[in-house]
Amino acid sequence: MIEPVTELRQERPAPRGPLFARRRTSSTPAALWIGATIAVLMLLTTLVTLFLPLDGAQTTDLAARLSPPGSEHPLGTDQLGRDMAARLLSGFAWSLGIGAVATLLAMLIGVVIGILGGWYPGIVRAVLNRVIDIGISFPFLVVAVTVVAVVGRGFWPLALTLGAVSWPTVARVVYAETLSLREREFIVAAKLIGVRGPWSILTHLLPALRPTLQVIAAFTFADLLVAESGLSFLGLGAPLGDATWGNMLADSRAFLASAPWMMLAPATVIVLAVLAANLLGDGLSARDRLRNKRGTTA
Amino acid sequence: MVDVRTSPRSPGVELALSMARNAAVRLLQVAILLWVISTALFFLLRLSGDPAHTMAGENASPEMIEQIRVQYGLNGTFIEQYQAFVGQMLVLDFGASLSTGRDAMELVLEQLPPTLFLAVAAIAINIVVALPLGGWLGTRPETGAKRFTGVLVAIVQGVPGYVIGLVLIQIFAVSLGILPSVTGGGAGSVLLPALTLASFQVPKLVRVVASSVAESMEQDYVRTALANGATPSEVLFRHAMPNALLATTALIGAQFAFLLSGSLITEYLFNWPGLGLLLVNSVTRLDFPVVQAAVFVIALLVFVVNTVMDLLFQVADPRLRRR
Repeated sequence: MIEPVTELRQERPAPRGPLFARRRTSSTPAALWIGATIAVLMLLTTLVTLFLPLDGAQTTDLAARLSPPGSEHPLGTDQLGRDMAARLLSGFAWSLGIGAVATLLAMLIGVVIGILGGWYPGIVRAVLNRVIDIGISFPFLVVAVTVVAVVGRGFWPLALTLGAVSWPTVARVVYAETLSLREREFIVAAKLIGVRGPWSILTHLLPALRPTLQVIAAFTFADLLVAESGLSFLGLGAPLGDATWGNMLADSRAFLASAPWMMLAPATVIVLAVLAANLLGDGLSARDRLRNKRGTTA
Repeated sequence: MVDVRTSPRSPGVELALSMARNAAVRLLQVAILLWVISTALFFLLRLSGDPAHTMAGENASPEMIEQIRVQYGLNGTFIEQYQAFVGQMLVLDFGASLSTGRDAMELVLEQLPPTLFLAVAAIAINIVVALPLGGWLGTRPETGAKRFTGVLVAIVQGVPGYVIGLVLIQIFAVSLGILPSVTGGGAGSVLLPALTLASFQVPKLVRVVASSVAESMEQDYVRTALANGATPSEVLFRHAMPNALLATTALIGAQFAFLLSGSLITEYLFNWPGLGLLLVNSVTRLDFPVVQAAVFVIALLVFVVNTVMDLLFQVADPRLRRR
């Protein structure tokens, strides 16, 4: 798929500026640094919240309902007087946990189907290619909404459903990448000296796929974070009343005029988390391009 | 790849045949998809408890549950139930809504026009904003303003639609009080939901337009045109933008298909009376006949859009015609 034109373009000198020149020569792009920093901070916060007694998250105090951010409640309170900061912190483990489990499941299914379809020609490829086609053409949120309604709310139903409906994008990328890697010298050579297919997949294909998998995992995670909080926002994700970002946003809808802080806090955290995952994906793929350009392997 | 001239048939016949084949393949795919989804629903509904109980709700009397059981054929064996279910699917009989008692398909079709209206409005905003912006971002030289816009686009792409929707409501409906936040599906109230939908589609389109324009600008024919004395803007509009149209049209088609499927969250947020809102409400009420009718119509719409896009591409690009 790579046309000669791309090769030519890579020879061009990187454009302008002393500041810029430095960034271009480093193999770690700025996006990767910023994304990784936010991600690590969020992970640490999540770990800390697991050991914090966040009682305020469910304690209602109707006398202090809808109080603005202040010394007692740093992020204010909601319509039932629950502390916004405590609720926000309890949301970390829920959202990031579901995102992680769902991403893992989507990657697992996507990688298996993508590799099988890309590696084995003939009937396997024809069938799996169609399966991916069908899956990718249908908006997965519609399926997720329907399934969650039947199997019920909660961490595991939501995480597994999201993972089970979002794999086609992963499979499509892995499939295309496998198709092209399969023709590369090192894999053809392995085949010629008698390495069997399954062994070659494990020892040659999967390591070569790793950079691609990292990038697609980051983007899938971002998408699933949005999907999870979206479902909770619709009242179809987290159990009602639980302290999750999506539920907090849903609560804020009725009080946009009187208590805008109810919307701002969860919205900021969701945007930060999604941004971090997207930056990680962008940064990783930029780094891979830089490394390939220099002829060093990732 | 396919040399049309060697074929004994005329190009027109060839094109028509190829279109028909593509449409048939897609139709088969939709049928399989619908079968998989509805079968999965059938089993999930029965594995997660007594469906008659689920449908009747928590406060239903035993008589009501029994009535539903008879009405929906839930008193037979598992196999009998599945046979009846598939039979109804084949004749497109989705039954009556559990909450209103009206025909499920009728309810779904009623919600279609507002969704279409919203989708067209959102795509119009999307195109009007993204094409010029992408074209501008794709041309050289790379200025500070362009780099800044590029970063901004990347950030907006990461913001979930419902966050943007809430912020828009906060600004336009609450603070300024110009636009209504809760909509009735009318023409004046389409602006905020359409802007919300466009806001997370514009960044993607901008990026695709910008990268394909940038790629075209590197090509030899652009250099030749410039050497022949064409101005940069002539090159952009005559050579680079038309060349970017293929990738752009593909993405717009995919985005339109997504919008037609009833943008669940945006319609719910603005109380827009479309397919998405109906689906969310029916799912919340466990109104399964309506859910199945809605999923069926959505799958059909996605099929229609994808097929039309296929046809457009084959008309535009002969390389895509199948043998």
